[in-house]
Amino acid sequence: MAPHAALNTQDIAEKARRDLLQLLEGVRGKKNLVLEKSLADTLSLIVKTSTLREYGVDKFYFLENDNVDSSQRNVVFLARGEKAKTVIAIAEQINHLRRNGQVDHEFSIFWIPRRTLVSNQILEEAGVLGEVNIAEYPLYFIPLADDLLSMELDDAFSDLYLRRDPTATFLAAKALMLMQQRHGLFPRIIGKGDNAKRLADLLLRMRSEVTAGDDSYSNGASSLGLTPSSSIESLIIIDREVDLPTVLLTQLTYEGLIDEIFGIKANQTEVDSSIVGATPAQAPQVSSASSSTPALKRKIQLDSSDALYSTLQDSNFAIVGSLLNKVARRLQSSYESRHVASKSTAELREFVAKLPGYQAEQASLKIHTALAEEIIKHTRSDIFSRILEVQQNLAAGADPTSQHDSIDELISRALPLPTVLRLLCLESCVSGGLKRSDLETFKRAILHGYGHQHLLTLSALEKLGLLTMQAVNESEPDDIAYVFSGYAPLSVRLVQCILQKQYLASLGTSRAAAAATPQPQSAAQGWRPFEDVVKQVKGATFDEAQTGEEKAVRARQTLNGSGGGESGKTVVVFFLGGVCRAEVAALRFVAKRLKEEGVGRRVVIATTGMVSGDGVVGAAIEKKTFGGA
Amino acid sequence: MSKPTADWEKVGTRFYRKVQLYTAVFDQDLELENYLVAGAPYSGALALYRDEEKVHAYRGSRAAKPSIDWDKGSIKGLGWSEDEKLLVVTEDGTVRCYYDLQGDFVPFTLGHGAEEHGVKACRFWSNGFVALLNNNHLISVARYDEPRPKLLAIPPEGEIHSWTLIPPAYTLSRSVEVLLSTDKTIYVVDASDSEDRNYSEGPFVHMSVSPNGKFVALYTKYGKLWVVGSDFQETLNEYDSRSKTMPKDMQWCGNNAVALAWEDEIHLVTQGAATKYYYDGWVHLIPDVDGIRVFTNDVCEFLQRVPDVTEETFRIGSTSPASILLDAVDQLERKSPKADDNIQLIRPNLSEAVDACVKAAGHEFSIHWQKQLLKAASFGKSVLDLYNSDEFVEMCETLRVLNAARFYEIGLPLSYEQYQRLTPEKLIERLINRHEYLLALRVSEYLRLPSDRIYVNWASQKVRQSTEDEDSICRLIVQKLNNKPGVSFEEIARSAYEEGRVRLATELLNYEPRAGKQVPLLLSMKEDTIALDKAIESGDTDLVYHVLLHLKKKLPLAPFFRTINSRPMAMALVESSAIDQDRELLKDLYYQDDRRLDGSNLLLSEALSQEHPQARLDKIKLASRLLQDSKENAFQLKMLDEAARLLRMQEHFDKDLHTDASPAGGRTSGPSFHQRHALRAAEIIHVKRALKVQSEFKVPEKTYWWVRLRALVSARHWNELEEVGKARKSPIGWEPFFNEVLGAGNTRLASTFVPKCTGLSPRERVEMWVKCGMVGKAGEEALRAKDVECLRELREKAAGSTLGEIDRMIAQLEPRRR
Repeated sequence: MAPHAALNTQDIAEKARRDLLQLLEGVRGKKNLVLEKSLADTLSLIVKTSTLREYGVDKFYFLENDNVDSSQRNVVFLARGEKAKTVIAIAEQINHLRRNGQVDHEFSIFWIPRRTLVSNQILEEAGVLGEVNIAEYPLYFIPLADDLLSMELDDAFSDLYLRRDPTATFLAAKALMLMQQRHGLFPRIIGKGDNAKRLADLLLRMRSEVTAGDDSYSNGASSLGLTPSSSIESLIIIDREVDLPTVLLTQLTYEGLIDEIFGIKANQTEVDSSIVGATPAQAPQVSSASSSTPALKRKIQLDSSDALYSTLQDSNFAIVGSLLNKVARRLQSSYESRHVASKSTAELREFVAKLPGYQAEQASLKIHTALAEEIIKHTRSDIFSRILEVQQNLAAGADPTSQHDSIDELISRALPLPTVLRLLCLESCVSGGLKRSDLETFKRAILHGYGHQHLLTLSALEKLGLLTMQAVNESEPDDIAYVFSGYAPLSVRLVQCILQKQYLASLGTSRAAAAATPQPQSAAQGWRPFEDVVKQVKGATFDEAQTGEEKAVRARQTLNGSGGGESGKTVVVFFLGGVCRAEVAALRFVAKRLKEEGVGRRVVIATTGMVSGDGVVGAAIEKKTFGGA
Repeated sequence: MSKPTADWEKVGTRFYRKVQLYTAVFDQDLELENYLVAGAPYSGALALYRDEEKVHAYRGSRAAKPSIDWDKGSIKGLGWSEDEKLLVVTEDGTVRCYYDLQGDFVPFTLGHGAEEHGVKACRFWSNGFVALLNNNHLISVARYDEPRPKLLAIPPEGEIHSWTLIPPAYTLSRSVEVLLSTDKTIYVVDASDSEDRNYSEGPFVHMSVSPNGKFVALYTKYGKLWVVGSDFQETLNEYDSRSKTMPKDMQWCGNNAVALAWEDEIHLVTQGAATKYYYDGWVHLIPDVDGIRVFTNDVCEFLQRVPDVTEETFRIGSTSPASILLDAVDQLERKSPKADDNIQLIRPNLSEAVDACVKAAGHEFSIHWQKQLLKAASFGKSVLDLYNSDEFVEMCETLRVLNAARFYEIGLPLSYEQYQRLTPEKLIERLINRHEYLLALRVSEYLRLPSDRIYVNWASQKVRQSTEDEDSICRLIVQKLNNKPGVSFEEIARSAYEEGRVRLATELLNYEPRAGKQVPLLLSMKEDTIALDKAIESGDTDLVYHVLLHLKKKLPLAPFFRTINSRPMAMALVESSAIDQDRELLKDLYYQDDRRLDGSNLLLSEALSQEHPQARLDKIKLASRLLQDSKENAFQLKMLDEAARLLRMQEHFDKDLHTDASPAGGRTSGPSFHQRHALRAAEIIHVKRALKVQSEFKVPEKTYWWVRLRALVSARHWNELEEVGKARKSPIGWEPFFNEVLGAGNTRLASTFVPKCTGLSPRERVEMWVKCGMVGKAGEEALRAKDVECLRELREKAAGSTLGEIDRMIAQLEPRRR
């Protein structure tokens, strides 16, 4: 019984890569690859286009474009098999190719992350099940950074909260289950929110099913996986529904603002090349032959491969300027040092060796300076400051009606709809709904301003619980979060309730402080002493301990030695329904603090997908208009 | 005990041995020459087929009970897969895959013209086969769990003298390659290509590919044997059999020798040499990875090259450390001091000798010599100070398992190498297939392997065959299997159900801990609502969808809705999928459920997809009718009516405005934009109409002003803006006017609004003037506010005459100070 391997995101990426290439290798010869649009970016995180080409991929098509042709005999579909819509689309395209083509095609479908019964049924009804080779590509978590795992389920938010379709919960449970199989049981599962509770229940149920022996799990490792992990301390599950206001607020970190203004998908942002300059050497376009992205846009990679970016990403935008300046000056001075006459050849050689590094840094500096300048244009505009003012007032608990004039004006000034909706939803969320008359006035204003199709948008927002009518005599359950101090994301506060008890108590109400007498900070205490506070937040609260068979546990304890178990362990924080970049930044801050305090816990954030405020309200926004003929 | 070398025969430079596995294999009156024989890899089961009535399945040593009655027409292919699935291919292209040795099968057809042209022959590899049709077309099947017969490239016409295949694992293309001998040459056919190898020495009557796929043996019409690389680049060996009669079979014996079989004679040919074996009756060759099984009526023998360690240890006159160690044990038993002499002699190589003895024991079929070798190893070990005994222990375990499997009643004469390749798990599977449950259990416990499959299979068998009453069967099974990890009660229940024992199936299913597992069986048992509940319980949405699809097909709408009504997750999934696929269903659902708002919204969204304005209006009308007399939706209703009115109005405007060339004209989309568009246009042309729109839709005053402002600015209607600016008051103040106009670049007009912004501080107004580039005016503003500081700042920005002006102003304020 070897100790469990530590959670390493690199391994996950590597496995994903190998699995995919192996599948592609299974299809002999050249092939055309048809994939769901939403998977294109995901795929780029795992494997380079050039590698795919080495594995015989000739052309790329998007499933949505319905334009795959007969240029290759082999046609490979890569899609998520959970939605009937996707399956039907694939079946249609296969039938289409078979009817049209003179070519005797060889079809393969790789379902992500699993082959579903429904997909079989639909393919069979369409008469293609016997014609295709079907394989599973068990892609669950994809690392976006070494402490950030995402399932990249774009629809998770709308599925979970608008359609009430719990597929994402189930897939999350599967993903976490796989993690448990590799790294051992999460010794404790703590969380908040109804869906989070469901997820925890599923995990417990799956565990008992694994014990009962399921074919899909019994790959030798199961016996090891079923003892509590020695490398992971706990799993904290936060339901997005518990803390919607946080995503509705404008993110003010550098990365957050890039996301707000340009949008980030799969660690990439697309920016007008007039802002950052064209790509130096025009790399072969990643996107498919059908993509019509003009060369005017430039893709910028935003991850830890860019050293400068990693120092900037989680900083508040206010200090990004000075950080950039510092780097610029440092580069300048090291560059100029080459002019110093008294240089030995050795020194010169050293300098030359460093040159590529300088150049890369220079290029990165140029890009980020340009980006920052563009962002400043936005943040300096009077509209931006108006929005921020409204948000901060609302978050600080000011009388919401005092903000109505501002919101009204912003609607009249025809701001993008998501921006306006975010403000309204924020108000509704923090003050437990709007008064009927106010709500109707705003609704009317939005319909007039943006079109009556948004009757559907507003309905959807109500379903999501983002925009509600104030119920009389009901306490305001969410309010509690905002009495701590200024504004901090509730989601992160919840995590702090578990990880940083003392710190939080020192900030908080005297009641909590009294309860939090100095104690070792450990997840082993669950929510204590904050149960009362947490209870007032919407949704179920739970705290489950997972133990293994006693014998095995003891064996492991002896193996690991009894002491020193706590330090260096990993805490996995899972956001069901999505996490926004600002929260990631905040959690990283918490993790850093923990490290400084000498509690050597590592925090790994996992989620169904990255979200932003625009995305959250975007789930509700009706895309069609009455003029669209 | 006879020396192990007794059966050795030197062929060329190497020894080959014949190991007698079993005797009295077949009935004496079985005319083996009339039978087609196929054997499963790794010393698996045999299948015999004679005429058109019966296929016999034999274990290595004795007949398995059920013969398969055959009524399907002429058998053209008989073969086994690695996991002992028996494949039977008939002339019309029907394939039956017998997945256990009990006669249960899955059928499929080859297609691709097999029915018309007829199957001529088949060749098998570990997990697939290729069928040759009478028109020379080749059809390959690469897996049996989801068979997909594929037509390979079309080879040329002409008589095929012989053919064989290279399994996918050994080809460059990773797809199966077929070798065809036609005319004088050989064609290599794969999925995409049929390539001529340009041989002129044909025709070849036999072709065979070595187990490792590297060599091909060819036997010409003129009695010559050639061995070539499977890439056909070079000839490696040549042999002349000098026989006038054609051998009836040719197979590889391991990767180094080829066996030619005549009726009762075998030639074993290896590098430049050959040896002959004679038998009393007709022989059949069953090739395996490391040798050949030879069958006659009387005996079953295993013919293989003597493994290196074995040769080293036993060869007469061998002086290898292992052989000396073996001798030492012999001396020890005789209590001779030479034992110690021997040990001293090989002292430096002792651990090597121990290793060799352990390995040689593995390759030994005789239990006596196994023991002898292990004893030697154990003795050698005891002399060594440090030796890792893992391999020794493992070998002891392996040999125990192997000997048990080789026992004639079990009949799995696995060689050590075959066992290594087969894996213990697969061996247990084979034992299960043979219903040797007890041995299977013992082996799996002995080797610490999971035993759930054994229990499940045993129970399924019990359920099928037991004549006891259902209660006692259930009790027996539960009693034996409860608390055994991994046992799938679902599988047992399924067997019971398939056997028609429904009550027993239901009973057993209750013991299945995995909710999801129960669903498919429950569905086939028509326990639909329980299936749905179990699916929901499992949390797997796919399962729930699966059940829902099933229910929807089966039930009329009303009961379907009733079923999902009380199950929120089912309801959510139905809604979620219907929105993409079946909106009519959704409408019915909302109607039955009296969910008016949802129904209305659905219609509204349909209205959005309509092309024609009238169709849209109709849909909206329908949507609002749904909400007619519900109080809580009054607002929604009002808004819908508004939308309808707006659409109508838009039509009118469109007619009036089609000549309007405002810059935004091309972007209009949707009533809201039209609304503003209308307002904007109206401002210019139809003031009255604009006012009408404003009042009709109760557009708030402020909004109206904002809209008008932005419309005028974007249309650059500066004159109108000036007119508007003459008004005394603006509900939105004048600052927005200043900002918007300035933003549009008209500083002159923007400046006219500065004095009107009385609500702002002088400082702010100064700033505004400066933005318009009017430093002088800014100065005046500052002067009025008596702000010297500000003036000083302005002085920096000023130039030319303005500079003088500012100075003057400063002077105006300064003296008073003094």
